[in-house]
Amino acid sequence: MMTPAVIARVMLIAFGAFLVAVPWLIPVILNKFWVSVIAEIMIWSLFAASVNLLFGYIGLLSFGQALYFGFGMYGVAIGVATLGLSFWPAFGLGIVASIAIALVSGIFAVRLTWHYFAIITVVFSLIFYFFAVSVKPLTGGDDGINFALPPTFSIGGVTGSFSDANFQYFFILATVALCFFLMHRVIRSPLGKAFVAIRDNDVRAALIGLNVYQLRLIAFVMAGFLAGVAGALFAFFGRYASASYMFYHVSGEAVVWAIVGGAGTLFGPVVGTTLFIVIREIVSTHWEHHAFIVGAVAILVVIFAPKGLVGLWNAELARWSERTNDASVKTKLRTEP
Amino acid sequence: MTEAVLRTENLTKRFGGLTAVDNLSLNLPGRRLHAIIGPNGAGKTTFFNLVSGLLAADSGRVFFQGRDITGLKPHEVSRLGIKRTMQIKSVFPQLSVAENLWVTRHATKRVLHPFRAASSDLETRERVEHTLEQIGLTALAQRPAGTLSYGDVALLEIGMAVISEPRLLLLDEPTCGMSPAETERAVAKIKQLARTIDIVIIEHDMSVVFEIADDITVMAQGGILASGNPDEISGDERVREAYLGRPEDEDYVEEAIHA
Repeated sequence: MMTPAVIARVMLIAFGAFLVAVPWLIPVILNKFWVSVIAEIMIWSLFAASVNLLFGYIGLLSFGQALYFGFGMYGVAIGVATLGLSFWPAFGLGIVASIAIALVSGIFAVRLTWHYFAIITVVFSLIFYFFAVSVKPLTGGDDGINFALPPTFSIGGVTGSFSDANFQYFFILATVALCFFLMHRVIRSPLGKAFVAIRDNDVRAALIGLNVYQLRLIAFVMAGFLAGVAGALFAFFGRYASASYMFYHVSGEAVVWAIVGGAGTLFGPVVGTTLFIVIREIVSTHWEHHAFIVGAVAILVVIFAPKGLVGLWNAELARWSERTNDASVKTKLRTEP
Repeated sequence: MTEAVLRTENLTKRFGGLTAVDNLSLNLPGRRLHAIIGPNGAGKTTFFNLVSGLLAADSGRVFFQGRDITGLKPHEVSRLGIKRTMQIKSVFPQLSVAENLWVTRHATKRVLHPFRAASSDLETRERVEHTLEQIGLTALAQRPAGTLSYGDVALLEIGMAVISEPRLLLLDEPTCGMSPAETERAVAKIKQLARTIDIVIIEHDMSVVFEIADDITVMAQGGILASGNPDEISGDERVREAYLGRPEDEDYVEEAIHA
């Protein structure tokens, strides 16, 4: 019986199998370049998921997630280049740095909602953007920090390093998949249900006994964690960190990806990010104004599929399954004596 | 007399030049169903907002079972066991009926588990199923609450109040906008609840008030106009003048009392 739940499971398995096969499959049908594009898409999907956790699940629209992405990047780059850390401590430093800054800014930001919240998140990211640009000795300013890649692990002569393209791809895949799995668990947990209750009706949520401020802060720090992991991965992926990734333009892109893909759905950000990065990669080589296409697609989706592409897909699937259920009921009735 | 379940001392709330609740001192003893009535703008809902923490009082104090709860935040008041429904029906529209009950049941817990699946909590699931039966919404359990009829939303609100095991229930016009059949169902439910829970109800439907209330407080212009049992209130000249003044309403009240 093909219920929507079965179809979703089959698609998830097929999607997972495809991702595992990418390093062998893609060089054959396209070329090696697209393997690293797909790795990049996974990192940016994780970043869009951070916007989605806030906007789609607890109802806070952040235009400043790039700040936490940037802290993840700089944590890694400063850790490796300045402090001489190896892979894992630098990775940890990036994540801890982004969680810490998310906690500090969240304490102020989640007192506000809606456009006030959006504005304060932009302001925070701008403050740190200009700070990062001006503190040249620490951050490298506009040039950023380039660093030599440390090996991920080295056990008995076997070394895993991002300089091996396959290792890099699978490390990114595993980390992003783990983060999405954690998010999936949170969404289905009592905590996740409380998030959605606050998104739907925050006054009522307070009246049933939920500490709205505290829960919004928890969600904000979790989103900072997701953005920080994405930023740390991206630093290892690009072997550098730059203040330009803390600019609000980067935050805004993630908002578009999450909303077009489907805010409030686990895989919406993946769909949105994939769509726009593929458009960018294909069109930008032929036409420099690829942002026009991005804008047009975003406007069309917001008008015709307000719940995003995944929301549209889910609605169609539900309609289809209702129709087939009705049909099977009718057939049963007809066969009755 | 038992100790007051809810007591206020000189409670005052001003909105600019308007004094919505004016020096209100109330004493509501436990194990009685209290109704608060009064014309529009008398300050009834503002009084509920002050008790439940949605508004901060300008002066005065609120005591719940002898404990000073003035100035507590809404979730802190809620965790003491004071639950309320809203005049304008208010649920979580995108959650299903069952999830609405579910999240309400869990909201009072200190720690919300971040990773365990919500559906694996058997104790809560049984409670939700039991409550769905009680309010008669079992068939609609998986429907998003935003798609329910007005009367069903009101029943869901009552269910959400029940499942949180309140010690004091504040109902703000629970039958407002209900059909006669729905009103009857809700009134029966409220009567049944009143046997175990202290209830304060704001209600405009006089037939409902005189049917269920043990004590009635009449508010006007932010203060208390009169209080007493239903017979005393219906016989009170000032109440008749201020609130029930129009002749056709008088007949209606008579009818309601003798019904």
